[in-house]
Amino acid sequence: MTHTLADVWKPRARRVTAWSALAGLAILLAGLAIALSWRAELPDQVASHWGPGGAPDEFMPVEAFAGVMLGTGALCIAVLGAIGLLLGRSASTLRLAAGLTVWISGMLSAMTLISLSAQRGLADAAQTPFSGSDLVLAMLVPAVPGVVAALLVPRDRAVPAEAAVPADALRLGLSQDERAVWFARATGGSGLVVGGGAIALTTVIAVVTGTWALLAVPALLLPATVATFVFVVRVDTEGLTVRSALGWPGTHVPADEVVRADVVDVHPLRQFGGWGWRVGLAGQVGVVLRGGQGLRVEQTGGRSLVVTVDDARDAAALLNTMAERARTPGR
Amino acid sequence: MIFRIDTASDEPLFEQLVSRVRLGIARGELRAGERLPPARELGTALDMNVHTVLHAYQVLRDEGLIELRRGRGAVVTGPAKADLSAVERALETLVQAAREARLSPEATTTLLKEAMKR
Repeated sequence: MTHTLADVWKPRARRVTAWSALAGLAILLAGLAIALSWRAELPDQVASHWGPGGAPDEFMPVEAFAGVMLGTGALCIAVLGAIGLLLGRSASTLRLAAGLTVWISGMLSAMTLISLSAQRGLADAAQTPFSGSDLVLAMLVPAVPGVVAALLVPRDRAVPAEAAVPADALRLGLSQDERAVWFARATGGSGLVVGGGAIALTTVIAVVTGTWALLAVPALLLPATVATFVFVVRVDTEGLTVRSALGWPGTHVPADEVVRADVVDVHPLRQFGGWGWRVGLAGQVGVVLRGGQGLRVEQTGGRSLVVTVDDARDAAALLNTMAERARTPGR
Repeated sequence: MIFRIDTASDEPLFEQLVSRVRLGIARGELRAGERLPPARELGTALDMNVHTVLHAYQVLRDEGLIELRRGRGAVVTGPAKADLSAVERALETLVQAAREARLSPEATTTLLKEAMKR
């Protein structure tokens, strides 16, 4: 083997980044080709932006419009590709990068085509109608291939730890006959406040302006907020399980893959660039809901997971103890 | 919070769970409004029957420490945290004395239980 143990994640990260970027580009180019094939039927200057009243307020040639779509898409693909290549140690990170690559490309293509198809045969683009429900569809439908792309990422291979749990790692004095489980809920005050505020605000805007299609935003934000900012965390013989209160998303670190668990001080902005399900600068996955105390698990294959929980000391001690048990067959 | 049970102990499993939760509430590890894990999940994690866990939850409910609500599971309602520092200090002394006298944890527990029944 030419790879060291710390590098085993790289081939998969390269493969996933390559096919998801190609898929994203193909979706963008297909959208571009269809848009340009309509050129003869479109006004010289097509509407490219709609004001709050639903009337178009910006115009440009169709070539420029399609070019903006392609450029924006290519930039997103490049950024997500870099995230996958540099930080894609865990399957969850690669799923996120591949899924978003395909979803965003699909969204850009769909939005371009929907706005242009409404302008076919028009002499003056200023009459282009605006359809909120079409816009929502253009955002939601491409999520389907996005999810498919995320599911196509191969799951993490089982890599049992070989070395013993380090002697300086926390332990829980647990006798042979004792069984134990640690439970906690991780919630994020600020995340819930921001999510709740956005839900209230968009609902009010939708009702006041009568833009009913906009109600789709709070309807989507509500489950998204719960899914991102309320997690149930469990340590037992199986290892560490982190699961959203909705059941998804979640992740699991098997006890036999735990290198060591520790209590850490978490700085959401500095280490993870924000709150929620994050990927840190060193490729560590973070379920970061607030600053302060957290549990960090170093996993085989150079992976690591950080969860912000109270009582992280007990969690780390029990997880190290379970990791030790998992390394002793017959126990 | 850590839930732990000792299969070698003579104390029934449901009672061990009840003691854990009581202690957790007294120590302030479990605050009012906090949810206990669903009985099935706790049972699976500790490799014990779900009915044993439910039995423990019912005892805790009868003691007024938790509320069992349909759909929301078991929610802590119990009294605010008590000051256990005096007990913890006395325990330290007891444990040290028991070790010096080469008493096993079981024998010490028995002595303690007898003393508390008096």
